[in-house]
Amino acid sequence: MVIRILIASVGGQGGLTLARVLAEAAVLSGLSVRTGETLGMAQRYGSVVSYVQVGSRVYTPKFTPGEADYLVGLELVESIRNIHYLKPSGVALVADEYRPPYTLSVENPFNTRDQAIELIKKLESKTIIIPARRLAIELGNPRAINMVMLGSLNAVSNIFSHDKVEQAVRKVLPARVVESSIKAYIKGYEYAQAIRNSFLA
Amino acid sequence: MEYYSLHVYTLPFARLVYLLVPQVFNMVFTPMSLLAEPGTRLPLMGNEAIARGVLEAGVYIVTGYPGTPSSEVIMTLQEYSRDLDIYVEWSVNERVALEVAIGAAISGARAMSTMKAPGLNVASDPLLSAAYSGVDGGLVVYVADDPGPHTTQTEQDSRWYGELAKLPLISPSSPQEAKDYVVASVELSEALGLPVLLRTTTRVSHTVGDVLLGEIKQPRKGRGFSKNPERFVRAGMDWNLERHKWLNSRLARVEELSAKLGLNKVIGAGELCIVTEGAALNYVLETVEEYSLSARVLKLGLLHPFPRGFILDNIRGCREILVVEELDPYIEQHLKTVLYDAGLFIPIRGKTTKHLPIEGELDKSIVLNALGLKQRDQPRSPHKTPRRPPPLCPGCPHRFTFLALKRAISKKGFKLSEVPVIGDIGCYALSVYKPIDMLWTEHSMGASVSMAMGLKLAGYDKPVVAVIGDSTLYHAGLQSLIEAVNKRVDLLVIVVDNGVVAMTGHQSTPAWSTSETGRILKPISLDELVKAVNPDELRIVDSYNYDELVGVFEEFIDKPGVKVVVSRHPCALLEARLKGVKTRYTVDVELCKGCKACLVVTGCPAIVMEGGRARIIQEDCNGCGLCTRFCPYNAIKQMG
Repeated sequence: MVIRILIASVGGQGGLTLARVLAEAAVLSGLSVRTGETLGMAQRYGSVVSYVQVGSRVYTPKFTPGEADYLVGLELVESIRNIHYLKPSGVALVADEYRPPYTLSVENPFNTRDQAIELIKKLESKTIIIPARRLAIELGNPRAINMVMLGSLNAVSNIFSHDKVEQAVRKVLPARVVESSIKAYIKGYEYAQAIRNSFLA
Repeated sequence: MEYYSLHVYTLPFARLVYLLVPQVFNMVFTPMSLLAEPGTRLPLMGNEAIARGVLEAGVYIVTGYPGTPSSEVIMTLQEYSRDLDIYVEWSVNERVALEVAIGAAISGARAMSTMKAPGLNVASDPLLSAAYSGVDGGLVVYVADDPGPHTTQTEQDSRWYGELAKLPLISPSSPQEAKDYVVASVELSEALGLPVLLRTTTRVSHTVGDVLLGEIKQPRKGRGFSKNPERFVRAGMDWNLERHKWLNSRLARVEELSAKLGLNKVIGAGELCIVTEGAALNYVLETVEEYSLSARVLKLGLLHPFPRGFILDNIRGCREILVVEELDPYIEQHLKTVLYDAGLFIPIRGKTTKHLPIEGELDKSIVLNALGLKQRDQPRSPHKTPRRPPPLCPGCPHRFTFLALKRAISKKGFKLSEVPVIGDIGCYALSVYKPIDMLWTEHSMGASVSMAMGLKLAGYDKPVVAVIGDSTLYHAGLQSLIEAVNKRVDLLVIVVDNGVVAMTGHQSTPAWSTSETGRILKPISLDELVKAVNPDELRIVDSYNYDELVGVFEEFIDKPGVKVVVSRHPCALLEARLKGVKTRYTVDVELCKGCKACLVVTGCPAIVMEGGRARIIQEDCNGCGLCTRFCPYNAIKQMG
């Protein structure tokens, strides 16, 4: 068994942290794991891709387009950029967060979030849009979008037990945000769980 | 000359950073137990695994200069420094870092220096001499290459440094091996009395994988040093000749010693042979398993001296050989020599036969292709999406500096296309991207001032500007500044001082009063250093004071002599992390006309256009307020 997860984000959104939580949860579950990342020179605000491979025995920190079981998108434009990583049976879980890059803002200033959502659904019909910002803000932590998406991923994939995810979050995140992160994880899990059955039927 | 007191920014800032440093690192790094019991299995990044390897190898002195993808070894160790009896500090540059480590190792201490590939070029002078002198304590030179490249100026293949410096070079394939190879490097280094190069690539250093921990050893300190000029003084030519013979005799023993360490392995069996190393091994193994190939994989861990005996013991019976390696055809060339010398003719496919590309990073599809196989699920083509080049952060002081320079150049009646801005290495190089679009060159550490000087000497008749960061000035820029002042060229030199090595993750500079480990430092004032070089003009300005910057640049740009402007303001990203953001800005949608001025002037990544109106992403705004200056409708308002 190998599960491949691609995390697409804008630098600073917590894509790498999300990958690290998945790596912790994998090792806690007795699985082998590799994660890799593609990021630019900047500390933040560039395109960031994290690859996560989990399985009984995995080798590479990276996979190629057409191989991902799940695309976890923390931002719409980055999700659109990387949608070709999904394999035909793959599922996209995408936060409705819209941060157009500079060129898109300048060239198409009238574009909207709804257009981006429409486009990604057209590109991949098995896309679940998660109102991640709203869910995170309800918990008072707009930076917890990554944890909401972690919950959504686990609801759809059932890779890890809640217990292992919680332990992983406690190991990876700073103590002061652990509780709100776990709550965000549960919120995302419940949201995706509720729409999962109807969606995947 | 007017001086801005150094104490206004640098010292309190440095102290503050130190006081809050655990919080900074907790945000950057995932806490993990570097000191966990042997037998524990942890997910570790390659560089974290190397940090653990440092402890398992009993290394006492660790030095280096930050550079992606090598920085996390020292950053990780520094987090735990209070619990460890070791020296782990950043150096002013890689050359100094290596010389400190050599000095420790000739007294019997175990030492390591860390650097990215171009850093090894900086450190290459002491490296080559150290091969002749040898060491008594294990000395590991850790260098991280960057196929892709993702974050490095060239796709340098540092494996050639094994040949050039005549030193053993080993290369791990996974985080687990990265840790284990540190221990192996130290053993090899002490058995031979030679420094050992430990070389990785991004996909080893920055990969997280499960790692089984080993025993931690007591760090080995120095045991004294006895005078021995024949060995340590490279001014004696007869001695040098003798040491060269000694070095060659040592190298002849490497393969035998490394065999005991199990660095080279044969995996699987078959007539199709694949010779590989480093991260490439993983693409090979995954392909072999997934496509159920019967192949004999020769994994090389020792790359210099090339393991001739291992190859000859295991290559017989191969029908053909595919060499899978990143960067240059290093293995391929050595393999051909070995087979030729042994009178074996086996067809070799690789980079010279164009079965694999010579540029860029490998992946599984490239390996499949080289094997003549096709990916099972053909991927769909990517949707064309506008690029997102790495920008300067919201609130970045460099944005003020470059926009002020732009303004001053225009106000003085010059065209932007005739005033070269000769850049250097650091975040400010991101000003090359639109809309700031100011940088003309960026080469190597410290090259801004010296290259700008060359341009002027060659007869360039318009003003030339050099821009260099604080840490880069300490690293290698001071010498360039000395040269320019001494030779009396006409240059505007802008030192952008944000008080920290920002781009690589906020490491300390020599201006700090306390290091990351709590070591009390003697701060080296950048202002005093520049003053000592005695440029014709020196002005120190707070970067957030845009109007003052424009004025100084206007005044200095075509004045004769070397004019230095220190544009100083703490890194906005670090400030926001340490102190929080006191004020933020928002766009009044009623007033915004969608003219995009705020965005097309500043390129601030916290500003986006949506539905024809500007929007500021609240949590990303660092509150510098620069955008308000460029809104013709006063639509950008300060929040509480």
